[in-house]
Amino acid sequence: MLTPPASAAPVLVRRGLIALTGIGGLATAFELATERHWNGLEQLIPWLALVVLAAAIALVPVRRGRAVAVARVLALLVLGASAYGVVDHILVNYNSGVLDQRYAETWDRLPLAHRWWLAVTKSVGPAPTLAPGVLGQSALLLLLATFLGDRPSR
Amino acid sequence: MISTRAPLARACAAGVLALGLSGCGGETTTAPGGAASATGAPTSSSGSSGDAAAPAGAKVSANTASEEEITAALGRAGVSNPGRWAEEVVEYRPYPADDPNLTKLRDNLAKYNPGQETTDKIVSALTS
Repeated sequence: MLTPPASAAPVLVRRGLIALTGIGGLATAFELATERHWNGLEQLIPWLALVVLAAAIALVPVRRGRAVAVARVLALLVLGASAYGVVDHILVNYNSGVLDQRYAETWDRLPLAHRWWLAVTKSVGPAPTLAPGVLGQSALLLLLATFLGDRPSR
Repeated sequence: MISTRAPLARACAAGVLALGLSGCGGETTTAPGGAASATGAPTSSSGSSGDAAAPAGAKVSANTASEEEITAALGRAGVSNPGRWAEEVVEYRPYPADDPNLTKLRDNLAKYNPGQETTDKIVSALTS
């Protein structure tokens, strides 16, 4: 079996992490498109985050000046957008509880913790709660890639 | 030599692992809907006459009426939480003009599991 020399491993891992980031971004774009996730400004946030992520991906191979530092900042921005998305999806679900025919009459009388649980688990509402987390995962992969060297170690 | 900065790299790795394990609940609830016709209310308006004083059964346009007009129309149709539903109607615009049954609206409302009766009431108060 052909195995790369140990010194080349960091480069392979780094390129792999960048590739996984790209795949995650493309998959997110596909998912957003199929969900028609563009009703209103707030639904455009993940699209903007994808553009930022693409810029970060483009900067990582540029190992000059502050390119890597900028890429890290951009990745952190995407991570923040991802966290915002998760919270926002939970809130959307929570506020939709009263529209669900099973809870329309009783929503306000349910224990608070139960209401939040229903929202977090998407038992009420239309928003997949952890879906925005994929963007954050991609950003973390890219951030990790920036800490690996681009040349085989000696 | 691998140029890693151990603490931050470990934090990144932990985050990736946590997200990977938690997975992504990307499923969308799709309640049945869309087959029932929206009848029972005469079409007497195409968009901008949906005030509270409008006659019972007066429809407003899902595409052009204001949120307040839609709220009033849904209230007259007996829909509970008409304001919240009006927000959703506005959010999912535009609706195809050649679809009097407002199939697109029905599909989007179904994500909230409102039940067939509520969906029919909402659609009965609107025109495309």
